[in-house]
Amino acid sequence: MSSHESRSVDPATLEMLEKAASDGVKTAFERADDVRPCNFGSEGRCCRNCSMGPCRISSKKEAEARGVCGATVDTIAARNFARMVAAGAAAHSDHGRAVAETFIAAAKGEAPGYGIKDVQKLLQVALDFGVEIGDRPVEDIALEIGEKALEQFGQQEGELVYVKKAPLNRQKIWRELGVVPRGIDREVVESMHRTHMGVDQDYENILLQATRTALADGWGGSMIATDLQDIMFGTPVPILGRVNLGVLKEDQVNIIIHGHEPLLSEMIVYAAQDPEMVALAQSKGAKGINVAGICCTANEILMRHGVPLAGNFLQQELAIVTGAVEAMVVDVQCIMQSLPDVAQCYHTKIITTSPKAKIPGATHIQFDEHDALSSAKQIVKAAVENFPNRGANVKIPKYEVDLVAGFSHETIDYLLGGTFRASYRPLNDNIINGRIRGIAGVVGCNNPRVKHDEIHTTLVKELIKNDVIVLQTGCSAMACAKEGLLTPEAASKFAGGGLAEVCETVGIPPVLHMGSCVDNSRILMAATAVVKEGGLGDDISDLPAAGAAPEWMSEKAVSIGQYFVASGVFTVFGATWPTTGSEKVTDLLFKGYEDIFKGKWAFEPDPYKMAKLMLDHIDKKRKALGIDKARERVLYDMAMRRELDAV
Amino acid sequence: MEEKELFNGQKVKVLGATFEPGKPLEPLRWRHKEQTREEMLKFLESSQRYWYSNEWYGSERRKNPA
Ligand code: SF4
Ligand code: SF4
Repeated sequence: MSSHESRSVDPATLEMLEKAASDGVKTAFERADDVRPCNFGSEGRCCRNCSMGPCRISSKKEAEARGVCGATVDTIAARNFARMVAAGAAAHSDHGRAVAETFIAAAKGEAPGYGIKDVQKLLQVALDFGVEIGDRPVEDIALEIGEKALEQFGQQEGELVYVKKAPLNRQKIWRELGVVPRGIDREVVESMHRTHMGVDQDYENILLQATRTALADGWGGSMIATDLQDIMFGTPVPILGRVNLGVLKEDQVNIIIHGHEPLLSEMIVYAAQDPEMVALAQSKGAKGINVAGICCTANEILMRHGVPLAGNFLQQELAIVTGAVEAMVVDVQCIMQSLPDVAQCYHTKIITTSPKAKIPGATHIQFDEHDALSSAKQIVKAAVENFPNRGANVKIPKYEVDLVAGFSHETIDYLLGGTFRASYRPLNDNIINGRIRGIAGVVGCNNPRVKHDEIHTTLVKELIKNDVIVLQTGCSAMACAKEGLLTPEAASKFAGGGLAEVCETVGIPPVLHMGSCVDNSRILMAATAVVKEGGLGDDISDLPAAGAAPEWMSEKAVSIGQYFVASGVFTVFGATWPTTGSEKVTDLLFKGYEDIFKGKWAFEPDPYKMAKLMLDHIDKKRKALGIDKARERVLYDMAMRRELDAV
Repeated sequence: MEEKELFNGQKVKVLGATFEPGKPLEPLRWRHKEQTREEMLKFLESSQRYWYSNEWYGSERRKNPA
């Protein structure tokens, strides 16, 4: 029996942890043992926002205890929370900005290799941004969209364009509370300003600004990233993929692309298919070039090309431990600084590509969007040339599983009614008639503080068993894919009778992979479509729906959670909760927000209890809608009909 | 055809599950169905009608005429 069994439920991960131990390599799993979390910090009771501190507020005398400046524990916890939201929103939005800039360059013809793949989505976004369509060439329309999208980041006044896509009642709530984002960057900056020493000292007010910032992420930066990527690279459609470390190939050059932005990875996929590169690989003794992904870059290229997923966040070091990876190419976000150290024990080259993210010990090959294909070829070439350096210490765990991904909001709409009657109606009808009990969004990271993938997979199995259809993004989708939950066959194997019946009729899995972390915006649109379709209330908060990030670790997750809550969704986080040090802040987020935003947070590390919380919430909403009772199908005879007529 | 037993013990052949095993070996390229700009706009007006059409009314629009 493995000594690592408590660390993961994934057999490939366990096998590689054994190998890492025998190769003398330390991973995040062991470092998590070495570095215990600080109690003050993890509960939000530590402020280091000026040099009179850091001030750590002891929980025992919370009421009187204050920082040197007089800040209370409530102010400090709210500030820390707001800063997490701001950092998360900044990351997603900077991603969106990079996409918008490349989009503009592509429209001007200044970024060879990039173009408009999905004209239909271009027209859709043109309608959103009020860009004239007429007979204008696509490049003209694209240029105007790109410029207007980029303006959203620096906009100072007014409202973000995408806010008007939300349900009307939701917009009303936001306007009444004054949390409609004015501009994306403006809200991030204002959050940083307000949480600076000596500025906003009212925790409720700080959290309202945190909300406005989170909304600028979900209904702003992230939505722009998703939409413009769809136009440039194609809106995802259902596609078969494979997941887990077994997708690496013993006889090929293995390139792993890791990070978040598809600008680079799209080009690497093309460069790796270039006959010149394939010939070079063969001249080095390899049979070909195999590209696979880690983290959200993986989700992006899976959704659009079917490129396999090597693994999720906690498998990034383990991919190198296989000894079979020639290069790990990284851009931004979720990249561990330990990668070059791990790579030292093998032959793997760590290649950083973004001026925003360099790592000591890695090779930097700057990626230039204006000459993308040659940048990508340079990177692929470096990987291929590294193939002869591969040592004998190679072990690829033989685990890989099928999955179906590519469920964009538009594709779900199409799948439910075809081109003739694309609509969310069948979903709404099946929720109303009780075959589907509700909808859950289960997203987010891995966290070595909990057993890798266990909370994701247990929670999702529990939800689908209870007829809740699950929408997924990020590393959570990969965890469930490894468990075989993302295939249509999973419906009959794991789902409750009602959900299984619907999945079999439509031909979809009970768990739908909707993309990367920025693509949580797709979940917002799907929820809005369900509201607008009718029959399930007038707002997202009326839906029998809930969200969860069971193994979260990233600041982006906090921003995502906050925009879901502010959009009316009951959202549960596992692993840890960053404001437990302040009763008032936690109470406001966990209870008070139900009155204000009609959505609220909860924290529950146990996946069964987490499922129960979500199911209870779903049932509560079903009851409020009057659809809580299973209705028997009664075949009316003539006498019964006459009775009806008489009424 | 699968053989099953009726309530009276009689053996019958039934058509089993008719859905295809869900492995889209090729991506489902439904986005290519509309070719002209007119077709695309028309599809948007019907598939995403609550955002892009003035003729269709979702639950909320009926109550709050735009
Ligand atoms: S801002 Fe106040 S609470 Fe924070 S470190 Fe400075 S003095 Fe301490
Ligand atoms: S889910 Fe979390 S760990 Fe995974 S890519 Fe997204 S932010 Fe990173």
